[in-house]
Amino acid sequence: MAQAMRPQMMGARVSRVEDPRLLSGQARYMDDIQVPGMLEVAFVRSPHAAAKIVRIDVDQARSMPGVHAVLTYHDCPVLLWERDTYKVGQPVLAQEAVYYVGQPVVAIVAENRYLAEDAAELVRVQYEPIEPVLDMRQAILETPRRVHQHAENVFFHKEYSTPGFEEAFNQAAHHLSATFRTNRQTAVSLEPRGTAAMVDAASGRVTVYASTQSPHRMREDISHFLQIPEHLVRVIVPEVGGGFGMKANCYPEDIVVTAAARKLKKPVKWVSDRLESLLSDVHARDDIHDVDVAFDDTGKIIGIRDHLMADGGAFPAYPFSGAVGETSLASRVLTGPYDIPHLATTIDCTYSNKTPLGAYRGVWGPIASFIQEGIVDRVARALHLDPAEVRRRNMIQKQQFPYRNAARMIYDEGSYLESMEEALRLIDYPGFRQRQAEARRQEKYLGVGISVFVEPTAMASSEAGSVGYESCTIRMEPSGKVTAALGLGPSGQGHETTMAQIIADQLGVPFEDVVILHGDTDSAPYGGGTGGSRSGPIGGGAALVAGRQMRERLVKYAAALLEAGEADIELGDGKAWVAGVPDRSITIRTIAETAYTNVKKIPEGLPIGLELTARYLPKRPVTFSNGTHIAEVEVDPATGVVKVTRYAVVNDCGRLINPTIVEGQIHGGVAQGIGAAVLEALRYNEDGQLVTTSLLDYLLPESTDVPRMAIRHLETPSEGEGGIKGMGEGSLIAAPAAVVNAISDALEPFGGMVDTLPVTPKDVRTLVQSGRQG
Amino acid sequence: MASVEERQSIHLSVNGREFEADVFPRWTLADVLRHQMGLTGTHVGCEQGVCGACTVLLDGEPVRSCLMFAVQAEGQEIVTVEGVTPDEGLSPLQEAFRAHHALQCGYCTPGMLLTAEALLKRNPHPDEEAVRAALTGNLCRCTGYQFIVDAVLDAAQRGGEK
Repeated sequence: MAQAMRPQMMGARVSRVEDPRLLSGQARYMDDIQVPGMLEVAFVRSPHAAAKIVRIDVDQARSMPGVHAVLTYHDCPVLLWERDTYKVGQPVLAQEAVYYVGQPVVAIVAENRYLAEDAAELVRVQYEPIEPVLDMRQAILETPRRVHQHAENVFFHKEYSTPGFEEAFNQAAHHLSATFRTNRQTAVSLEPRGTAAMVDAASGRVTVYASTQSPHRMREDISHFLQIPEHLVRVIVPEVGGGFGMKANCYPEDIVVTAAARKLKKPVKWVSDRLESLLSDVHARDDIHDVDVAFDDTGKIIGIRDHLMADGGAFPAYPFSGAVGETSLASRVLTGPYDIPHLATTIDCTYSNKTPLGAYRGVWGPIASFIQEGIVDRVARALHLDPAEVRRRNMIQKQQFPYRNAARMIYDEGSYLESMEEALRLIDYPGFRQRQAEARRQEKYLGVGISVFVEPTAMASSEAGSVGYESCTIRMEPSGKVTAALGLGPSGQGHETTMAQIIADQLGVPFEDVVILHGDTDSAPYGGGTGGSRSGPIGGGAALVAGRQMRERLVKYAAALLEAGEADIELGDGKAWVAGVPDRSITIRTIAETAYTNVKKIPEGLPIGLELTARYLPKRPVTFSNGTHIAEVEVDPATGVVKVTRYAVVNDCGRLINPTIVEGQIHGGVAQGIGAAVLEALRYNEDGQLVTTSLLDYLLPESTDVPRMAIRHLETPSEGEGGIKGMGEGSLIAAPAAVVNAISDALEPFGGMVDTLPVTPKDVRTLVQSGRQG
Repeated sequence: MASVEERQSIHLSVNGREFEADVFPRWTLADVLRHQMGLTGTHVGCEQGVCGACTVLLDGEPVRSCLMFAVQAEGQEIVTVEGVTPDEGLSPLQEAFRAHHALQCGYCTPGMLLTAEALLKRNPHPDEEAVRAALTGNLCRCTGYQFIVDAVLDAAQRGGEK
């Protein structure tokens, strides 16, 4: 057996193969899919948070020229979720009642979107509005009423406690309490959601173009809900303009569009506009945590008690309820990188008359970090200790790995303390404290916020509605060129580059000779899609295993054709040779030709051709990335405006496949974290109307809101294939906590601490004023 | 004046070529570029004039093609991302975007490129602050902007040389 090749592409800063098509305007996104005769859909959506539907009159709309069909629930009677899971499932078109503003009620199929929207205005729906359920704490108490008559509002309840919690907690020298609130936010991929479906008249197969992160899951869902045998459904994912967890769901529109295409025997497309997307893309992060903390004189935290509440909206998003995901996973990583022995958690997820809660990058992580880092800073302030020092005193130490946390999660090895010390150096922490003191003398308020994070990645089940393994098919063509396919669903992460890096190394072929296919269920092996930071560690692991298996086959060929022992064969630069005798060589191309066209020469025991599929299931159910973010801010107490001025990141995601791509992920996550910390909030009014339905109301970070970031990498390999850990979410997990802790630090002279995400200028003013009064 | 219910024949100059199109007056420039002319490099992100994904150059100035009607663009020179892409390979600015990993999902990229093109024409040697200020009208949800800023600064420094 040949030695594993010294990696050449893995770890290299390779430019992306995706880029030329994206830069030149040649990429094909959802709305670029156009076939002859294609019709377009507009949805009539609920204008009420809660109402009975008395009557739906579609006659006028149906008779409008250019309209091909008008669909109501009766034309597409599908419920998302089996009723027994959370007791309710969303009808893809509203049946007898509406439960949130933006819920699809009627679908218009017309010659183009302009006409479809005209016709939508002709639909008359008579509603009988009822009082909406909007307040989370009240809803948990079934006040003012149940959202769904036949189901309690609390659709998920769970309690957990470490043995001996009460005694340890009560005996502690110090206690503090705080309530942490995260407001609704959402992913806002710049490309909105969309679906197109068409039936192949010859085979009867249905092709669905879907802007999704989970192609195979989407195929299963469409097959299941519309009762089409799975092999008669093909899902193709075009270029996806951002997903961030939000495109991991199967949505009502996906089912309705496919049903319409089958009914009309015409290609049908729907692409969301921004108003629809803010109303109907899954929301996230609508959580309240009532927290009590026990700690000793030295700042060592002894126990945390947390009542975790989440407003799941009107229905559980399918197939992943964000409320359950955010709370149950937050409850398991609430102690973060700290050695906190005791934990007691109670979870309540409730229905309300709001948009369903689903996944947004990091899911539970940004909430858990916000709370855990907020707790540490509160302990530091209570004891007049430096926040960095309190972190040192609580941090899990190297010798404790593998570490079992208070919620029984097993952490594999990481670099927790090193990452913090390195980040403190990067930001020049002692220097900052001097500048801060000088600035305060001039009534300028600078602050620094530390956020040490853990990021559970590559979990067996994730928001992608996923399986624990990933699959990779490698086909070496007769010319020696390589086509590989994975079941992933990238939306900008650069998998065509990173997976090719991994495979090129294994096969000893040039990087340019490897092309990666994804997002087509006809070519990709069954896989779990992209989500939960699984594509690198599990997808990359599958690519590595498949590459190794193909390499073994190439070595057998080379050994036979060169009449040498397999152990003496080396591969590289498109050739195989006998170690130490470079002249005794054969090109990979010749091996490939032999495998397909000169079958008499195929070594005994090997199959004809060079094609195989490998599936990789990591031994550990999760691997933890880690790192530290430090944000520096300047807060204007007069206006409440926060400016993030400096930012340092030390990140450890194990072995890096492509450091540049990792840095891009970090930058993007930090920007989203700044948005989460100071800008982004979906606000409902007292009638249950979402009032932030444009990007002028739901504010995203602009180029001047995001500072230049300094990044350092640490590499603590995982025990999985390639030593890879996931990292897509860590930066958004860490950043909001870093920014709000920095704001609290800046406002320390006024006394208050931030307890809400996002913290708006108005909130900052309130903190300043209450401090001045106090 | 023609009725909004009737198609109008218009004449557009796009990327140095002349196009005739029959359009309804309410069709946006973005829709006509994308769906009548097949120039799908112009992306529609919000139709609210905020995100900048639909940015095209109109007589050299970046404008939102979602916020104007195609009929309003008659008589002006329109340039889309397809128009700043050379027949072979990439433009120096596009090369800089690739070298600096200034794009991930790519949806905002055409708008970013056109805004940056206009900036560099107006101000060939901008500093970081000027680049960031110029790009505030183009939202990116993936990159956190830093590598985009680096790419524009690098392209400026190279002065259009590859």
